[in-house]
Amino acid sequence: MRKVFFMLLVVLLTLSMAASGAPKGDIVIGCLQDITGVTSTLGKMVQEGANWALNEINAAGGVNGRKIRMITYDTKADVQEAINAFTRMCTRDRVSAIIGPPVANIGIAIAPISENYDVPVLGFAIDDRVTMKDDGTPYKNMFLFQPSARQQGAIMANFAVKEKGLKKFGIIYNQANAYSVSLLEPFKDAARQAGAQILVEVPYQPTDRDFKTMLNKIVSAGVDAIYAPNYTQELILITQQARAIGFEGQLICGLDACPPFPALCGPESNGIIYINNITETEPQIQGIIAEYKQKTGNDATNKFFLGYDVMKILAKVIGEVGDNPVAVRAAVENLKGYQGLTGNITIDPKTHQTKGLEMVMHEIENQLPKMLKRYAVPE
Amino acid sequence: MSLQIIINGFALGSVYALIATGFSLIFNILKFSNFSHGALMTLSAFIGYFVSVRTGWSLVPIVLISMLAGGVIAYIGEFVAFRKITLRQTSPVYFFVSSITLATLYEGIVTIWVGPNFYNYPRFFKSLVIRFGDFVISTSDLIMFISSAVALILLMLFIQKTRLGRALRSVSFDRDTAGLMGINVSGTIQLAFFISGALAGLSGVFLGINYTLYPQLGNLVVKGFIASVIGGLGSILGAVIGAVLLGLMETLLINYVGSGYAPVFTFLIMLVFLLVRPRGIAGINIQEKA
Repeated sequence: MRKVFFMLLVVLLTLSMAASGAPKGDIVIGCLQDITGVTSTLGKMVQEGANWALNEINAAGGVNGRKIRMITYDTKADVQEAINAFTRMCTRDRVSAIIGPPVANIGIAIAPISENYDVPVLGFAIDDRVTMKDDGTPYKNMFLFQPSARQQGAIMANFAVKEKGLKKFGIIYNQANAYSVSLLEPFKDAARQAGAQILVEVPYQPTDRDFKTMLNKIVSAGVDAIYAPNYTQELILITQQARAIGFEGQLICGLDACPPFPALCGPESNGIIYINNITETEPQIQGIIAEYKQKTGNDATNKFFLGYDVMKILAKVIGEVGDNPVAVRAAVENLKGYQGLTGNITIDPKTHQTKGLEMVMHEIENQLPKMLKRYAVPE
Repeated sequence: MSLQIIINGFALGSVYALIATGFSLIFNILKFSNFSHGALMTLSAFIGYFVSVRTGWSLVPIVLISMLAGGVIAYIGEFVAFRKITLRQTSPVYFFVSSITLATLYEGIVTIWVGPNFYNYPRFFKSLVIRFGDFVISTSDLIMFISSAVALILLMLFIQKTRLGRALRSVSFDRDTAGLMGINVSGTIQLAFFISGALAGLSGVFLGINYTLYPQLGNLVVKGFIASVIGGLGSILGAVIGAVLLGLMETLLINYVGSGYAPVFTFLIMLVFLLVRPRGIAGINIQEKA
C-alpha cells in the first residue's frame, strides 16, 4: 500500500512540474560549420558570431529562464562529414534548430536529406538549390538568412549600371565553384535588363593560378568593369594580376571582397566595388567589432554578424513558441520584420529566402571599405 | 598573335623552368622522379614567408634564406628517405615510394604548422607594373624571369666548369665507375639534393609571391614534370626548354581554347611526347628506374 502511495506521489509531482512550465533544461541549438577545412574562415566566423549572441542571451537570463547551449560539428568542408553530423544532430542530439553553413555544396547535399526530419536549418548558402526544389517549392526545413544569389547578382548589376554608370562588362568566374556560378546568370540578366552589355565571359578552373592571359582577353575587349564573383584567394590573384596587366577600371565583386580582403590584397584593391551584409561604420557593429578584437585579437567579418543575427532570431522565436523544432520551423517560416544587425529580415514562405533585405554596397578606398549605399533588389 | 600573350607565356615558363630544373637534377643523378620536390617548395616558401613577416627584410635575403632552408631540408631528406635505398641498391621502385612519402610528410608539416588557410607575402616591390611602350609586365614576373635565368646559368656553369660539377656528371653517367675513380658518390648525391632543394626554395618564394602561399602550392610540381618530359627527362637544358615551351603553349591554349580545355591539350601533348619521342626535345635517352 505504501509503495502504491509513493508511486502515485511521484507521478503527481512530475505532472505538476510539467503543468507549471518549469524549466526543462537547456535549449539545444546545432551549429554545422566548416571549422578546419578550406572554407574554415567562413565557418568559424559564423560559429563565433552565434556564440557571441548566445553569451549575450544567456547573460541576460536565457530564454524563458532556460539557457541556450550550442553544439558545433565540424564539416571539414567535406560533404559526407556534413551529412553525418547533420543526421547526428537531428537524431541523437535532438536540437531545436541548426545554424547552417555558408557553403553551397554542403547546403545542396543536406537539403534533400533534411526532408526526412523536422529540424529547421537556418543557413547562409546563397545558391537557390539549397532552399528550393526543382519544382519551385521550398525544402520544408531549409531557410536562407541573407539575399539569395539571384538577389545579390541583381543588386550588384543594378548598382553598377544605374548608380555607377558602367555599361560594358567582362566576367571572370570559377566554373567549378557553385558560389561563383550561382552569381553569374543573375548578374548578366539584371545587367542586360538595365541596358548594359556583357562583352566577354571567361571561365577558369579551380587549379588555375595565372589569370593574366584570361584578363588580357577581357581588357582587350574594351570593358568598363570586370565582374569577379570569386572566393578571396582567387580574387586576390585576379585583382593583382588585372592591375599588373595595366587594367585601371573597376572590379565588381561579391562578399569575398569584404575585409580582410583589402589588407591581404594591398593597394591594388582600391576601386573595387563590392556587396556586403553589414557596414563597419554602424556604431553597434563597430562596438562588437572592437570588443571582439579586444577579447580574441581577431577581426569580426560579415559572417560573424550573420551567425549573430540568426542566434538572436532563434532565441526570439523559441521565446514565443517553445523549443519544439516543428514549432520553431513554423515561426521561422513566418518571420516578419526582424530588425537585426544585417538588416530588416522577413522570410518569404514561398521561397524560404529573405524578402526585400538590403545589402550594403561599398567601394575600397585606401585599402579601407567606404559605404556607398544600401541597396535592395528591385521588386 | 599578341606580343602581350608571348610575354605572359615567357613569365609562366620561367616559373615552370625553376620547378623543372630542380626536378630534373635529381632525375639526372638517381634516375627517379622526385615528387617530394613540390612539397619542399611549399615548405621552404613558408619558412621565407614567416622570416619576412617577422623581420620585414627585403626580397634578396628572403630568397637566400628560403634557398638555404630548401637546401638543408633536401639534404636531410636525402639522408632519411633515399640514402639506404641508394647504398643497398634495392628495387628502384622504393625511390618513388619514398619520394611520395616524403612529400606527404612535408605537406603534413606545413598543414599542421600553418593550417589550411592561404597567406600573402608582404609587398617587396613599390610598383607592380613595368611598362615597355604599349606592353606591360608585372614586376614580380620580370624579377622572377631574371632570377630564374641567373640561377640556371650559374647552375649550368657550375655543372660544366667546376670539379664538383664534373663529379655530378660522372655520378649521373655511371655511379659505380665514378666511385671506383675516387669520387665521393654519397657526397655528390647530397650536393645534388642540396642544389635541388635550393632551387625549390627559390621557386617556392616566387610562386608564393605570384600565386599566394597555401599548403597545396607544391602541386605545381606536375607542371615541372610535364616540362621535363617535353624537354627530355634528365636533361637540365631540356627541362628549361620544355618549361618555356609549356608556359607559351598553356598561355596560347588559354587564350584560344579557354582554361577548361587547356590542361586537356597539355596532357595530350605530353602523352604524344611519351609515345613518339620519349627522350624529349633534348634527346637524352635515360631509362627511368621508377
